[in-house]
Amino acid sequence: MVETDSEGRDKKVTRRQFARGFVLAALAAATGSLLSFLKLLAPSKKGGGYVATVAAGDRLVYAGGNRQGSLLKASEFKAGDAVLVYPEGKSGNEANLVQLIRLEESEFKAPTRKELTDQGFVAYSAICTHLGCIVGWIKDKKDPEASYIECPCHNSIFNPEQGARVMGGPAPIPLAQIGVKVSADGTLVFTSGFSGPIGPQV
Amino acid sequence: MIAKWFDERLDLKKFKEKFLNKAFPAHPTFLFGEIALFSFITLVITGIFLGLFYEPSTGQVSLFGAMVPAAYASVVKIDLLPMGVIIRRIHHWSAMIMIAAIIAHLARVYFTSAYRKPREINWLIGLSLLAVTLGAAFTGYLLPYSQFSVTATSIAYYIAKSVPWAGDWISRLLFNGEFPAHGTVPRFFFLHVMLIPIGLITLIGAHLLVLVKQKHTEPKANSKRKAAQGGRRLIGIPVWPEQSYISVSLFFFLLFVVVLMATYIPLNPIERYGPPSPVTPVMRPDWYFLPIYGFLKLIPGDLSFTLLGSKITPEAIGGVFFPGILALILVAIPFLDRASSPQNYIENPLHRPFMTSSGIAGAMLLFMTTVSGYIDVLHIAPASMAIYVVVVTAAAWVVSYLLLRLYSRAAKKGEHVKS
Ligand code: HEM
Ligand code: FES
Repeated sequence: MVETDSEGRDKKVTRRQFARGFVLAALAAATGSLLSFLKLLAPSKKGGGYVATVAAGDRLVYAGGNRQGSLLKASEFKAGDAVLVYPEGKSGNEANLVQLIRLEESEFKAPTRKELTDQGFVAYSAICTHLGCIVGWIKDKKDPEASYIECPCHNSIFNPEQGARVMGGPAPIPLAQIGVKVSADGTLVFTSGFSGPIGPQV
Repeated sequence: MIAKWFDERLDLKKFKEKFLNKAFPAHPTFLFGEIALFSFITLVITGIFLGLFYEPSTGQVSLFGAMVPAAYASVVKIDLLPMGVIIRRIHHWSAMIMIAAIIAHLARVYFTSAYRKPREINWLIGLSLLAVTLGAAFTGYLLPYSQFSVTATSIAYYIAKSVPWAGDWISRLLFNGEFPAHGTVPRFFFLHVMLIPIGLITLIGAHLLVLVKQKHTEPKANSKRKAAQGGRRLIGIPVWPEQSYISVSLFFFLLFVVVLMATYIPLNPIERYGPPSPVTPVMRPDWYFLPIYGFLKLIPGDLSFTLLGSKITPEAIGGVFFPGILALILVAIPFLDRASSPQNYIENPLHRPFMTSSGIAGAMLLFMTTVSGYIDVLHIAPASMAIYVVVVTAAAWVVSYLLLRLYSRAAKKGEHVKS
């Protein structure tokens, strides 16, 4: 007996329905096979992102300017001075970029980690924790202690005397601190890695 | 002679009857779309010139004794060609004019309610054109690989990465790895000179086909004249010859203005910005990205929360949700403000208090978020600026709404007296 629907028509699949179903199935299969393509188009993480390689014992060198790559001398800095530095031999990696600042040792307050400072030198990651621009030093000529770190991109402000605490703007967390000390020959060396996460927190 | 030869083979007469006799409304605000189209043509021509010299690579090469990325070096060399810097500036100025013209065109369609049935399709195509054009400008901005390009693209990379749930994958897909990856410039180059132009040409073609099929909207004042003429044709001037004369003169006049600007107003002087280096200059994006840039400055850093297992960061709020919501509103407009039957006349914006004041408030929001991009030079705290943005936008809505209500009531009374 042939099955029929309520109006008495054959319930068999018509040629047209079959053809339509066939085309749809083929389309779905082809689309599905293309999905793997999307994975190919987005290379997996390999050595990207901000992965710092700076380590205790690295010496500090200028990151830019006409003395780029040469060693820093502690005697060249007064309270209120600041400069961007790299660990010697590791300047290819922007994650290693550090904002070095000299202030008065007595001005440091929590949450600055005083054991990571020396003779007023304090150092923070120079990569803004908002969207990754390189921070700048806004120097107050009259009152060095009123100087601050500001990101030129969206004006996040960090307080160098308080562990680079966020004083304003969109940055979600402070810049990570890194230990520095003045060595016997007057050059500067790192004494630790970064104390926290660096770069954009996305 | 030649025309006859082709006519015998291609039946050009029929084509002329069908397309070249089409009526075009003789009103200057109907020209914004044409300005966008002509800017695109200029972009293609100058872009082909640039593409013949540009090198999409970040490999280091020597330029005047310094090691710089090859892309940067090739653009510096373009600037040194005879007329090279002018052509680069024409390209960049045309990009700005194209975007400005699309926005003006969109505003014209919005305020006259020309997006209503049956023109929803072209409203959506128009919005896609705006989005893809912004994509063209964004991918083009990276190509010179100057300190500016790299900083701007890096910011966009982290915004893409902050997209909730899929950000990690989306950012690697768009930027071909984690920026700055070596693959980013080649991928952006291909997008910029190949995929995006093809997409734009396709969208423009679809836009124009739908337009030819549906015809323009026209002022209500035409309705009586139209009825007298039998009501089928739109009142206006034919595409050939009248409108074509206007269009061609418009194209050359536009070219004149752009060349003049390119000659005298420097734009994106990459020699001054220099190749990528470990300092970020104070930088602002081109004007069309300023609202997003300004909005990013207003979001306080501690404003983050978790939604369905994904962290929503301030970056995502400013860079993803703000433009995303604006885009959704634009997409939704023709489906919220509907006409029950096909509408071929434009509305007078003065008689639509709600829609017109909403449009004014939207424009004010974009203006105020643009101003927020300058809080560092204006010395305004982000929190107070956020309040100004809300207050001014709301005030713009209320004031324009009340004025328009008063106006339409007065206009109605006037009609009453007359009749
Ligand atoms: C077929 C079309 C196009 C081609 C072949 C093309 C080609 C190029 C090339 C080779 C560059 C790099 C050289 C340079 O930076 O000066 C460039 C830059 C650029 N393009 Fe295009 N482009 C096209 C369309 C567009 C469109 C539609 C827009 C935007 C609406 C656009 C916006 C830009 C911008 C903003 C730059 C940066 C210019 C600068 O350095 O000042 N381009 N384009
Ligand atoms: S990147 Fe530093 S404030 Fe946005």
